[in-house]
Amino acid sequence: MKAYFHSVNTFGTVDGPGIRYVLFLSGCKLGCCFCHNPDTWVANGDAVCSEEILSDIKKYRSFYDVSGGGLTISGGEPLLQADFVAELFELCKRNRIATSLDTGGFAATEAMEKALENADLVLFSLKAARERVHRQLTGKSNELILRNLELAAATRPVVLRCIVIPGLNDAEEDVAALAKILKQLPSSLKLELLPYHAMGKSKWTSLGLSYRLDAIREATLEDLSHFKYLLKQHGVCNNHVY
Amino acid sequence: MHYWKGFKQDSWQEKIDVKNFIQANYSPYEGEAHFLAGPTDKTVGLWQECLALLAEETKAKGVLEVDCDRVSSITSHRPGYIDRDKEVIVGLQTDNPLKRSAIVNSGVRMAEQACAAYGYKLNDSISEIYNNHRITHNSAVFNLYTEEMLLARKVGIITGLPDAYGRGRIIGDYRRVALYGIDRLAEAKEEDLKRLGGEPQIENIIRLREEISWQISSLRQMKEMASGYGFDISKPAATAKEAAQWLYFAYLAAIKEQNGAAMSLGRVSTFLDIYIERDLASGILTETTAQEIVDQLVIKLRLARHLRTPEYNELFAGDPLWVTEAIGGMGEDGRTLVTKNSFRMLHTLSNLGPSPEPNLTVLWSDRLPSGFKHFCADVSIATSSVQYENDEIMRPVYGDDYGIACCVSAMTLGRQMQFFGARVNLAKALLMAINGGKDELTGLQTAPLLPLPAGDVLNYEEVRSNYSLVLDWLAELYVNTVNIIHRMHDTYAYESAQLALHDSEIERLMAFGVAGLSVAADSLSAIRYARVRPIRDASGIAVAFDTEGGFPCFGNNDERVDSLVSELTHEFIEKLRKHAAYRNAIHTLSVLTITSNVMYGKKTGSTPDGRKAGAAFAPGANPMHGRDSKGALAAMASVAHIAYDDCRDGISYTFSMVPGALGKTGTDRCRNLVAVLDSYMLMKGHHINVNVFKRELLLDAMAHPELYPQLTIRVSGYAVNFVKLSAEQQKEVLSRTFYEAM
Repeated sequence: MKAYFHSVNTFGTVDGPGIRYVLFLSGCKLGCCFCHNPDTWVANGDAVCSEEILSDIKKYRSFYDVSGGGLTISGGEPLLQADFVAELFELCKRNRIATSLDTGGFAATEAMEKALENADLVLFSLKAARERVHRQLTGKSNELILRNLELAAATRPVVLRCIVIPGLNDAEEDVAALAKILKQLPSSLKLELLPYHAMGKSKWTSLGLSYRLDAIREATLEDLSHFKYLLKQHGVCNNHVY
Repeated sequence: MHYWKGFKQDSWQEKIDVKNFIQANYSPYEGEAHFLAGPTDKTVGLWQECLALLAEETKAKGVLEVDCDRVSSITSHRPGYIDRDKEVIVGLQTDNPLKRSAIVNSGVRMAEQACAAYGYKLNDSISEIYNNHRITHNSAVFNLYTEEMLLARKVGIITGLPDAYGRGRIIGDYRRVALYGIDRLAEAKEEDLKRLGGEPQIENIIRLREEISWQISSLRQMKEMASGYGFDISKPAATAKEAAQWLYFAYLAAIKEQNGAAMSLGRVSTFLDIYIERDLASGILTETTAQEIVDQLVIKLRLARHLRTPEYNELFAGDPLWVTEAIGGMGEDGRTLVTKNSFRMLHTLSNLGPSPEPNLTVLWSDRLPSGFKHFCADVSIATSSVQYENDEIMRPVYGDDYGIACCVSAMTLGRQMQFFGARVNLAKALLMAINGGKDELTGLQTAPLLPLPAGDVLNYEEVRSNYSLVLDWLAELYVNTVNIIHRMHDTYAYESAQLALHDSEIERLMAFGVAGLSVAADSLSAIRYARVRPIRDASGIAVAFDTEGGFPCFGNNDERVDSLVSELTHEFIEKLRKHAAYRNAIHTLSVLTITSNVMYGKKTGSTPDGRKAGAAFAPGANPMHGRDSKGALAAMASVAHIAYDDCRDGISYTFSMVPGALGKTGTDRCRNLVAVLDSYMLMKGHHINVNVFKRELLLDAMAHPELYPQLTIRVSGYAVNFVKLSAEQQKEVLSRTFYEAM
C-alpha cells in the first residue's frame, strides 16, 4: 500500500525514545495556527509503499537498535492514511522494530483503532484542553480528539504532548481543564510540555499563507515551569510531567 | 636498572620496541570517569597566565612576537619559561612563550614573507646565506618543476603542495626517549650505520647512512637542549613526570627543527599511564598530581606555534599544528587500550577549557568499555573538541600501536612515515573533461586536448570517458610532482629529529588526496539523471550550466550517486598506483580538505550540480550543504560507502548538530551520540568530527569574538578556535548543514 509523504528523517531524537526513523506523512485537516510544518498539510508529493520504508529503515537498523529507538510515523496527520500506518506498523512488528505513532488525534475512531493495533507508543498532541480555545487555535472542536485520546490511553502507553503558547492556552482555566482530562486517564500516561516557537513562520510565508501569531512571543522555560506549577496546584502529580 | 624497576620484562628490553613495552605493562581501565581530579592551583595559575598571553596574541593579529635573528634549531634558543614556579613540565620553542622563530631549510622565501607579514624583517645575513649559499627545499623543488607542474599548480588543479614549507605528517615516536633514554637510541643508530656500512655503497644505502648520521647528531642535540633545562635525558625516565618531560623534550626538538604542516604527537596517553600507575602504587603520585602532569603537558602543547604566511592560513585556517594525540582503541589481543590516562587526557578539556590543540582523536570501536564511550560523548557534547576514527578498520592495517598524523592519516608509530601530497581538485578535473582539457577560469589548456562533448545536452558516457582521460593525465602528473617534492625535502629539509625516533629502515606511505568529491559526484549525477546544457562562451568554455530535472545527490544513501563516489575514489587510487612513487612508497588517498574547501571553491567555476562559480565545496567527504535531506544517518551511510581500502589516508566527515536535535536530556544526548558513533563505525565509516552547538552561538561569536576566546569547533579533520577563522571561513561553517529537530 502507498501513502503520500512529505519527508523522512533518519536521525530523529525528539519523537519517541532513542534514535528514530521519522516518516512524515502529508495531509492534515486540523490547520493549527502555530503549526511549524504547514508544508505537510496537503496530501500530495511523492507516494511511498510500506515495503520501501521498511527496507530503508533496515539500512540504519543498528542505530535504532543500540539506542532503543525505532520508527515514528508523524505528519501531517498520519491517521488520515491509517491503513498505510497499520500496514507499516505490522511489518515493523514482524521485523521487531519498535513503533510510535505521532498524532493529533483528529480522525475517525476506526482510523485510530487500526493504527493502535501495532503501535508500541503513542505521542498524542493536544492543542488545547478547552473547547473554545481549541476552536480558536485550530478552527475545530476537540471532542473527537479527546475521545481518541481516551481510546489510545486505554490500550497503549501514551505521551500526551501539549504545546504551551503564552497568552493563548496557558491561563489557569486552561490548566484546570487539562488537569481534569488527565485525572480521567490512566496514571501511566506521561505529559510532555512543548514550548511554542515561531520557527515555522518562514514556511508559512513561503507558502503564501499569513501567520496569525506574530504578536505572540515564544514560550520560555519559566512559562513551562509556571504551567507545571499550576498543574500541580490542580492535583496533577509532578512525576508524570516531563 | 632502576628506571625500569617494577616493569614486566620482555623483548622491549633487548630491542627498541615501545609497543611490546606497552603490551607487557599497561592496565586496561573499564570503569567510569568518577576518579578524575580537577586542576591544581599551579595549573590554574599557569593557565590563567597563558590565557592572558593568548589574548595578547589575538590582539596582535595572531602573532605575538617573532625572533627574526636566529634560525630555529633544536639548540638555537636558551631555555624559556612561562612562569617557572608553576611549570611542572618545561620547555618552549624559543626563549619566550608564543614567540615564533624562523625555520628556513624548508624555504627561505616563506620565512621572509612570514616575517614581513607581521611587520618584521628576517635578519639580512640569514637571507643572504639561504638565498646565496644554501639551497632550501623550496628553491630546490622549483628548480625541478616542469612547466606542466607549474601550470597545474597555477590553475589550482593541484594545490596545497608542501613545496614552500615543511611537509609534516611525520610522527616521531617520542615515547622512545622516555623509555630508553637518548644514549641507548643513539647506540642503536650507530649500530645501524655500521651494519649498513658493510653493504655495497650504492645510492639508496649511502643516502640512508647519511640520514642516520643526521639522526645521531639530532639525538645529541636533544640531550643538549634538555640539559639547558637541567635534565639529563641520556638515560630512561625514572618517574611519570620524567616520562612526560622526556617525551615532551623529544616533541619540542621536532617542532624546533621543522615547521611541518602537521606535527602530531602520536599515542602517548596509555604509554604514560604505565608510569603513572607505577608512581601511584609507590605513593610518588596522587590522582591530583597525576592529572597535573597531563594538564601541564597539554598546556605546553597548546602553546606550540609556527611562523606562517597569511596565504597558508587561507588553506589551513586557525594557526593549526595538528598536535594530534590518538586515544583509546583496542589491542590486537582483545584487551582495550583505554587506561585511566585516556580519561585524563580528555579531561584536560574540562580542566583547562576547550581547545583545538592538541587534536584529541579517539580511536573508536564498538568494543570500547562503555564507561569510556559515555565519557567521550559527554566531553564531545560539552566541548566540540574531539574527533573519532575507526579503530576496527585501521588496526587490521596498522596494528595496535599506530598514531594519527594531522587529521586522519594513520601510520604505525616508529615504523612508518608519510610523504604528504596535499590534494587535487576533482571538480575542476570534471570541468576540464567538459571543456576539452582547458581550465575553466583562465582558459589555459592544462590537461591534454580533448574533444568537446557533442550536442547541446551533456551525454554522461561521453563526459565520463573524458573524465577518465583527464584523471589518467592528472594521476601521472600528480605522482611525479609529489615525487620531486619529497626527494628535495629528504635532501634539503630532512626531519632528523623525528626520524631519529623511527626505525632506520621504515615503510613509507605517499599520501595523495582529493577535494570536491561531492561536487564532482553530484555533477556526474546531474549529467546522468537530469538534462544538463552547458552554456559556453566564445572560446567554448562552459561558464554556466542549465540543469533541467531532478537528480540524486550524495548524502541521501542513494546508490545511484553514492556508487559514483566510490567509483571515482577507486578509479583515482588505481590510476595513482600505476606510477612509481619515490622510495617505493605505498600510494594512499585521502578525502580531506582541512579548510581549503573554501579556497578550492573560490578557484572553481560553476559546476553542473548547480553550484555557482566561486562557491565553497563541502569539507572533506561531506555531502554538499543542504543537499542531504534525509537526516544525519542517511548522510553518514553515504560517506561510509567510500571504501577505506581505496582511501587509506582517511575519509573525513564533519557532523554538526544542535543540542536539541541530539536528544532531549543530557542522558539522551550522551546515549544517542554513543549510538551514532557505534553504528557509524559498524558501517565502516572512517572518521567523524562531532560538533554540538547552536548556529546562534556562532553568530554571537562573530559579533563578539572577545567573549569567545576558547570557542572550539571541529572542521575537516581538526579543530579551530572559531574566532581565528576568516569571516569567509566563518560564513562557510555557518552555511553547513546543522541537523535540527523538525
